[in-house]
Amino acid sequence: MLVVNNLVKRFNSTLAVDDLSFTVKSGKIFGLLGPNGAGKTTTIRTILNIIKPYSGEIIFDGKPITYEYYNIIGYLPEERGLYKRSKVIDVLVYFASLKNVKRKDAIQLSDKWLNKLNISNLREKRIEQLSKGNQQKVQLIAAIIHNPRLLILDEPFTGFDPINQQEVKDLILSFLSEGKTIILSTHQMDLAEKLCEEILLINDGKEVCIGKLSEIKKRFGGNNIRLGFRGNGNYLKEFPEILKFDSYSNYTDVQLKDDVNPSEFLKKLIEKIEVHHFSIIEPTLNKIFIDLIKESLPR
Amino acid sequence: MMKKIIAIARWEYLEKVKTKTFIISLIITPLLIISFSVLPSILFQQESTNVQVLGIIDETGTYFLKLEEELQKYFLPNGQNKYVLINLTQKNQNLEELKNLADKKVLKNLLEGYLIIQTKEKDSILAEYRSDVFGNNEIVSRLEETLNSIRIESILESEGMQSKVISQIQDRTIVQQNKIEEEGRITKSDFLTTFFISIVFILLLMMMVIYSGQLLVRSMIEEKSSRLIEMLVSSSTPDELLAGKVLGLSLLGLTQMVIWALIGLGLVGSALVPQTAFHNVLPMLIYFILGFLFYTTLFVGIGSTVNTEQQAQQITTYLSLILMLPVVIAMPVIQNPDFIVTKIFSYIPLTIPTVMVLRLNVQNVSTLEIVLTISILVLSILIVTKISAKVFRIGILSYGNKLSFKEIINWLKE
Repeated sequence: MLVVNNLVKRFNSTLAVDDLSFTVKSGKIFGLLGPNGAGKTTTIRTILNIIKPYSGEIIFDGKPITYEYYNIIGYLPEERGLYKRSKVIDVLVYFASLKNVKRKDAIQLSDKWLNKLNISNLREKRIEQLSKGNQQKVQLIAAIIHNPRLLILDEPFTGFDPINQQEVKDLILSFLSEGKTIILSTHQMDLAEKLCEEILLINDGKEVCIGKLSEIKKRFGGNNIRLGFRGNGNYLKEFPEILKFDSYSNYTDVQLKDDVNPSEFLKKLIEKIEVHHFSIIEPTLNKIFIDLIKESLPR
Repeated sequence: MMKKIIAIARWEYLEKVKTKTFIISLIITPLLIISFSVLPSILFQQESTNVQVLGIIDETGTYFLKLEEELQKYFLPNGQNKYVLINLTQKNQNLEELKNLADKKVLKNLLEGYLIIQTKEKDSILAEYRSDVFGNNEIVSRLEETLNSIRIESILESEGMQSKVISQIQDRTIVQQNKIEEEGRITKSDFLTTFFISIVFILLLMMMVIYSGQLLVRSMIEEKSSRLIEMLVSSSTPDELLAGKVLGLSLLGLTQMVIWALIGLGLVGSALVPQTAFHNVLPMLIYFILGFLFYTTLFVGIGSTVNTEQQAQQITTYLSLILMLPVVIAMPVIQNPDFIVTKIFSYIPLTIPTVMVLRLNVQNVSTLEIVLTISILVLSILIVTKISAKVFRIGILSYGNKLSFKEIINWLKE
């Protein structure tokens, strides 16, 4: 279990991380979400002990994080890159040896993972000869080869095609059963929605929203419907029941006032416009994300 | 701790030793050094193998025959006379016409050059040697010597001195230069040899530092631009990373040295390198290794602040210029090792290794001074390591914008 208490990080006069506190339970995926420049990477770097916090504490399994924890932490940075001119197997063994894995074991583990991700044929190839997706797989292996107890994944899915994305997702989920503590930082809300049990949404280094995903959804659930109709969407402005709406090319998402009954509203709607789709929707994490970030912006 | 440093050093070493550039540099560097240092000295000492035809315009009428006789003591390797003299003097032509004629012959390569001998005041003469090249020192100094001895001889003869006495007078004393190594033991000094050994040493150190420095900075740029560095610093401390890199590079340098030493030994076998080059080998080696460590640590620190290839090039250029300094002062140091500037340079960490090696070769440096300079060097390595580690720790994580000197100072204060 990872506990972060009142974490603050300053760079000169700017506050990069402003009093964050959260807990990541083992066997769970914790989503660290936020727009670009929100302070996610800084938070991660502090947890990784790459940079020192200004104040606050980071405790893993009851003890503060020190350099000793290097060997049980796995980290996949957002921006990828490996030694281009080196061989896949050499790179993997090097990263394993940096985590104090013995050479003999490192070779065995590399082969096991290359097999598991279906790229064992690339073992002797140079990194630069690999496709981008395969390079990412190698980097993912490098991050997990030492069987870390705390795993921090920064945008693990970018650059993968849907099939590989599925593979990576299954891999991450398989770690859960092993009781690993996982922090997932991403922009891809649909994936965060599928994988994370708890999330922390930050903006400008501050906490915007924290908690169980299911509870957050309930909290921000509201009264939402999805409409498909022919004609001009400007009509929607005239309905007093509507709080706000977002138009897309094929449909429009509408948030109704809390006391409005969607069925009653539909009746009223078909009198004005030709409706060909109507459904009641749960808010996506994406929507919550956008709404919350917009709200948290200084006006 | 040690395990990781070794793992990093091993990686840095193996990945670089396998590169083509390393293998090429292994062979090309000594070739360059040899051609820069050995060739000139070989060419310089080489006597020309052709008979040289010299013209003489002798207005005095007394010097030509004696000159011809004296110059017959110089032979070519095949036993032929080296110089053939032609008398260009003609009573009925004036000097200007004779000169024009002779000039023409020189330019047509019929003559190597020609000598004009004129009477000045009663006993002394005026001599001028003309040829189509400058710097024909050998001929000129031989002509000078011969003319002088002829002149002295004729003066003494006219004073009635016996020819036996004259030849005794003409015997010259040559002062042999020797360097005292310790009581009762000397080595024969030879300016060229000293210069040659010292320059080879400086060039070797320079090439090694610049070469490995570039390798290092380039690999660090790769690690930074690909953000690999983040995976590295989440696995080991910056200090371990720094130590591992310096160790790996030093091993790389050592590999180069061993291979070059083998090439050097091969050259000794063929007697190209004089044996005297090796009597100061222990202190020289210490200076070399410490110098290399000093510069490499400096490179790691500075290199970590660099983000692009261009910045790296700038920095390597500056450092190379600093390294060039000893080459510039090599000549004065050898000629005057006790000079105050030389002394100052032998206590500045940047120039200690090279200047001290120069001095070791030309004078007997006191043990105290050797111990003192080595201590200064060791101390400055420790200080540079400390500073470099600090800059490195922050430098490796700063991407994008160019770093100002002020920012780096700020880091050091942190």
